[in-house]
Amino acid sequence: MIPAIAIGGFLLAGLFAGVRLLRGPTLADRVVALDVTLISMMGGVATYAADRGDDSYLSLLVVIAIVGFTATVAASRFIEHEAEKP
Amino acid sequence: MNAVASVLVLAGAALAVLAGVGLLRFSTPYARFHAAGKASPVAFLVTATGAAFEFGLSGAGTLAVASAAMVLTLPVGIHLLFRAVHRTSPGEHLLVDDLIAAEHRDRGSSDGG
Repeated sequence: MIPAIAIGGFLLAGLFAGVRLLRGPTLADRVVALDVTLISMMGGVATYAADRGDDSYLSLLVVIAIVGFTATVAASRFIEHEAEKP
Repeated sequence: MNAVASVLVLAGAALAVLAGVGLLRFSTPYARFHAAGKASPVAFLVTATGAAFEFGLSGAGTLAVASAAMVLTLPVGIHLLFRAVHRTSPGEHLLVDDLIAAEHRDRGSSDGG
């Protein structure tokens, strides 16, 4: 019961971030919305793993954290480069 | 789940919802990055602490590595996004912007070289 409520909370946070992803208005807003979606996903995975008592899911968390950082850095460089173009 | 883990996981989920509400409701990009960059890593940290009670030492270690990766990298990424917004639309969302003035001054003094 309690893990289901917690996972529902993370899903709600991901839903809010999805609304921000669709609305924008700047490209950076969309990038940060994807970041929050990923972090909510990490929380959901951690809760699910704790509920099942299965620690094979936990290495997924490290991968998501690092992939999310790489994506954010790449996207912010892209935004700055696009702005510099004539 | 035991009681401590349940309380921490629920608190983490509540913080994640608050981060989502902040991301949705705040009016300027800077305020939205503030909500996303501070509330959501804390939400994950609290959740990971709660989940660590359910695992042995190796599971807790993996959670600690994931938390460290997030705490070290997320502020850097959010800072880069702040900088991207400031460079693409300078002075649009702030009442007082000292960074524009400072960058102008630096550019003026280094134009000779």
